[in-house]
Amino acid sequence: MKRPRDTRLAVMLLTPAFAVLGVFGVGPLFYAIYMSFFRMVRGGGKTFIGASNYSEALTSEEFWNSFFVTFYYALGVVPVTIVLSFFIAAGLFRATRFRGLLRTLFFLPYVTSVVASAMIWRVLLDPSAGVANHLLRVAGLSTQNWLLEPKGALSILSGGVIDIGVGPSLALCCVIAFDIWISSGFMVVVLLAGLSAIPREIEEAARIDGASWWQSARNVTLPLLSPTLMFLAIVSLIRAFQAFSSFFALTGNGRGPLDTTQNMTVYLYANFYEYGRLGYGAAVAVLLCVALAALTIVQWRAFGRKVYYR
Amino acid sequence: MLNNNGKAAGLVLGLVLVAVSDVGCGTDTSTGDGGGQFSPIDAEVATFWDRQTTETAEFLATIVDEFNEATDGFPVKVVRSGNYGDIYRKVTASIQARTLPAMAVAYESMTAEYARSGAVVAIDDFFANPETGLSEEDLADFFPALIETNTFADFGGKMYSFPFSKSVLMLYFNKRVLAEAGLTDPPATWDEFLDQCRTIKTKTGKYALAIDVDASTMDGIIFSMGGSVFEDGKTTFDSEESIRAFQLIETLATEKLAYQITPRTFNDESDFQQDKIAFTMRTSAGKASLARLMEDPDAWGMARLPQADPGDPHTVLFGSNICIFDTTGEQRDAAWAFTKYFTSTEVSVKWALSTGYLPSRKSALDHPDMDTFFSQWEYNRAPFDSLAFAKAEPNVLGWQRVRSLIENAETEVLTGVKGARQAAVDLKEKADRALAAAQ
Repeated sequence: MKRPRDTRLAVMLLTPAFAVLGVFGVGPLFYAIYMSFFRMVRGGGKTFIGASNYSEALTSEEFWNSFFVTFYYALGVVPVTIVLSFFIAAGLFRATRFRGLLRTLFFLPYVTSVVASAMIWRVLLDPSAGVANHLLRVAGLSTQNWLLEPKGALSILSGGVIDIGVGPSLALCCVIAFDIWISSGFMVVVLLAGLSAIPREIEEAARIDGASWWQSARNVTLPLLSPTLMFLAIVSLIRAFQAFSSFFALTGNGRGPLDTTQNMTVYLYANFYEYGRLGYGAAVAVLLCVALAALTIVQWRAFGRKVYYR
Repeated sequence: MLNNNGKAAGLVLGLVLVAVSDVGCGTDTSTGDGGGQFSPIDAEVATFWDRQTTETAEFLATIVDEFNEATDGFPVKVVRSGNYGDIYRKVTASIQARTLPAMAVAYESMTAEYARSGAVVAIDDFFANPETGLSEEDLADFFPALIETNTFADFGGKMYSFPFSKSVLMLYFNKRVLAEAGLTDPPATWDEFLDQCRTIKTKTGKYALAIDVDASTMDGIIFSMGGSVFEDGKTTFDSEESIRAFQLIETLATEKLAYQITPRTFNDESDFQQDKIAFTMRTSAGKASLARLMEDPDAWGMARLPQADPGDPHTVLFGSNICIFDTTGEQRDAAWAFTKYFTSTEVSVKWALSTGYLPSRKSALDHPDMDTFFSQWEYNRAPFDSLAFAKAEPNVLGWQRVRSLIENAETEVLTGVKGARQAAVDLKEKADRALAAAQ
């Protein structure tokens, strides 16, 4: 039975957290929802317009373009980073020499400033003077416009057979590659921690029973690592939907060529801070969070039951 | 213990809080400090957000120091705050926070947005003061285009900004590359320009031009084709002149006479210096940077933009103006005092000679130092001649959004996503819609 003193202590300890959440989380949340029902232009007063901001967004080509940019980005970054990081972590876990050095090298991109890294990538991907095109020229291949290219990567790869508007633009693919490089460092460290927590005797038993590396990884390591993988999947999906700095730093304005790198966060930012459309920006933010919540529920329902908790 | 649904619900609530919290923080609440509507970011000095870099920034800082010494009043401090876009974003965020610098540089389209917020004060209101204002004679001394561009029809025809560092779009040419192609003079018309580009490509294998996708440059090309971009409340991007401007870009791209550079890198300047290209289109303010890179003044030059009709030339007016924000009385007065000082004939001449920007006063052209300046390099006079036929871009509400659309249309044409005519027609439709939405 709880004692009154415990309750008082709990209230006392929780109050600061609730106060911060209330002021900076719940309060702005409800105010954003409230704003989304008004036509609020900076300095232009506000007029109640019901759900017009939502209907405008949902019928806007630009909004859906930003949604698909976000979708392609999440689809490109999340699974690839997790799979890549898993293999790197598995390799590092078994490495006997230079383990510390290698771990540091893989973690370095994550702790480096995104803006500084983006500047280097911009130089590497510069169409006229970048290393990427220099390598293509040396290999006898045609050069690319990289971050300036609005055409779809699939169209370029297929030599124009696939329509230029299908799939992510080459510019967006560059942003995806950059963020895979940046975030794999964090995932590798988390996965290494997860791998360290797996009792070695289980893997050794599997190996004594004749399991190959792949069989052991698939049937022993991955199930035992599933809580870590689930955590990484959810966290990276949330981050993918909120990504902003890499888009902005790589393309200069976030939007990229023909808005092909304008994800929902950049679109929200542009409406809010560049075009001064506060009510509409708030509606986009609410739609973004609804999309994110729906995706997380789907993710939880689809994979949550497959997570093995020891 | 929470079941899976409970965990999911908790997670969703967390996401909702994270996703929306930054938007809801932007509220409109007046601080009401007894002065203007906004608090100054520094109560001790009149902060000036500017974009200049390198030697130009140092020279501006010197002018500010001289002003502070000369006036012995409320001091001004210049703060380098990124490029024009960065400053615009900083100012709009600061408007939300109700805390602003005393003044900042801005394009006209940005000033219109600030004026709608009530964040800027009308400059005209300073003129009337017999001690600190400007006489009719003084006002008449300013180039009319510079006064016109700072007068906002959407806001009662008042001046909400004042000319600061103005320039005009010019064509820079590399004489070494032209000579390689057997050419001597820069082109006077766009037809000649295309012919020269083709000759350069054929004879040297080099690109003729590097393109930095930019709305003002595109507007300048449209003006030089004899067109306009805005008439009677609507854009005119579907006019034949505008379509011809986009067709020029299309030809340059399809014939591989030009390539696009990464925005904000100024790679065209380094390629110009390394004789990789023959031409680049930059404002007259870019002269200082190119002069530093080129070293040999006989290796390059600058000319007015090629024209559709050289007998009726046009170019675009570039550069920024000063906005004074509605902070405290002493901050506003200090900002105006500095603006007036900066645009005086003496300082205007010094600024022009050191930076490549144009003086805002006509009397500056009669200054003895200007004669010396004109005789130092045969192309020094070209930007000043162009000033006479430079046109300002529209300063209507929503033009900031239209600028993005212009750049998108130019990119569409450059990358072959759309043909020139289609891009121009679509641009008109989108731009008109954006302007209507901004009202």
